[in-house]
Amino acid sequence: MAKKRYAMLIDMRRCIGCHACTVACKAENAVPLEVNATWLKIIEKGKYPDTRRYFLPRMCNNCTDAICARNCPTQATYKRDDGIVVVDQHRCIGCKYCIASCPYDVRFINPLKNIVQKCYFCVHRVESGLVPACVESCPTRAMIFGDKNDSKSEIAQMLATNATEVLKQEMETDPQVFYIDADETVMSNVEKKINYRAESSLIKLRL
Amino acid sequence: MENSDVNVIYSVQHQLPLVMYIGQYFFFTGLSAGSFVISVIATLLGRKEFKPIGKITAILAPILLIIAPINLIADLEQPLRFWHLFVYYNWTSPITYGSFLLTAYPIMGIIYAVMVYTDRQKAAKILGILGIPLAISVHGYTGFILALAKARALWNTAAMPTIFLVSAMVSGIGLVVIIAAARWKWFDKKATPEDRRKDKRLILQLAQFMAYIIMLDLFLIVSDILVLLTAHSDAYQAGMLILTGNFAPLFLGVEIFLGSIVPMVLVLGPTRYSLRAIVIASILVNIGVYAMRFVMVIGGQSIPLS
Repeated sequence: MAKKRYAMLIDMRRCIGCHACTVACKAENAVPLEVNATWLKIIEKGKYPDTRRYFLPRMCNNCTDAICARNCPTQATYKRDDGIVVVDQHRCIGCKYCIASCPYDVRFINPLKNIVQKCYFCVHRVESGLVPACVESCPTRAMIFGDKNDSKSEIAQMLATNATEVLKQEMETDPQVFYIDADETVMSNVEKKINYRAESSLIKLRL
Repeated sequence: MENSDVNVIYSVQHQLPLVMYIGQYFFFTGLSAGSFVISVIATLLGRKEFKPIGKITAILAPILLIIAPINLIADLEQPLRFWHLFVYYNWTSPITYGSFLLTAYPIMGIIYAVMVYTDRQKAAKILGILGIPLAISVHGYTGFILALAKARALWNTAAMPTIFLVSAMVSGIGLVVIIAAARWKWFDKKATPEDRRKDKRLILQLAQFMAYIIMLDLFLIVSDILVLLTAHSDAYQAGMLILTGNFAPLFLGVEIFLGSIVPMVLVLGPTRYSLRAIVIASILVNIGVYAMRFVMVIGGQSIPLS
């Protein structure tokens, strides 16, 4: 049997933008204020009255070729055999190089523990045979989690029968969070295009 | 603009990971590598009038490189775990090269300085030749730290290590000129007028050398920006950020104008025989290189990723 390869599929035809995944993640993983391991990106397109909102649940892509794991100087970030990228919280020295190298801005410093954290597909739940908290909480079953190498799994069948997209394919990281029918604009780097002056970034400098 | 009808209602941007500690660290390793190279050149040429400069720089290099990693450790979220770098190394990470280089280089620098001060010319020459690749890699790897962080368009270029090395040379020579000029002014009174004239000429030559390296630096920066502006969209935004965005005053005003063009004019222009003008140029050069580190480290991270 092929090696396990956990992946996430988010069906945007079903997503209603309710933030249940964000809340579930915060509760399950005790994610402090100011930081998020999972969040919902929301944009609004068009001019009133012809407007529409588009959502995109965002989380760590647990990339197959993870730049963070390659650049971690202490091997605190590493890829498990089942494909999940985890951070060893006892080994992490907090050099933050992984945060700087990640193309998806999904890593953060936990302000209480002073180490780097991110979404790791709720690996503690997955090991007990459960699905991640966000998937469990999704009221419209828009999120599907499973072993994509197991051809009988729901995710493998969905991936085989649907056109899917991933974020920032040009980064060559082989992301393992797939989206069905996500809007092109919400997947692209909208904030950069709207405001390349990056006014807010200087305020966020923590010196 | 194509996205004028798009508004971001909610998204999360995490704090900038690398703050100015990192930029300062780059600045200090650069000064150290630059002054070490000058010291070795002085030792290798072996002429009597080069000796004072060789000595100043030999002691400067290890001191600066002991200051530099303090910034790194202060930047860690878990400073007491810094020893993990040596125990759990990862050879695909440039920080791992750095942690070993940063240990080897100051040790070598101290031994070299002892050789220079005890006037053991042959040993100093051999150590100097062995030390130059080490000095280049100890600073060059910092360019790789930025270049290998693929997500940031401003950093992810093969020119980055070279730009860092060249600007390190510029700032290193600048510091040496400042110190050599101070020595000439206040601590060199006992020398004969003949020697004093030679010393002054040496400082002027050093400053001219600095001006030529500034030209090389400008060439590298221009080529980097030209490529950024014509590459993919992220790179274009990065180029615009430093040319017209928030970082433009610092980049164009301080780094390019005050830190490169003004010193070049002061050193090569009509004031080229004035020690005062040359010292001002050297101070400006160091301010410019510090600004360059700021623009690179903070500017590189300030374009939102999602």
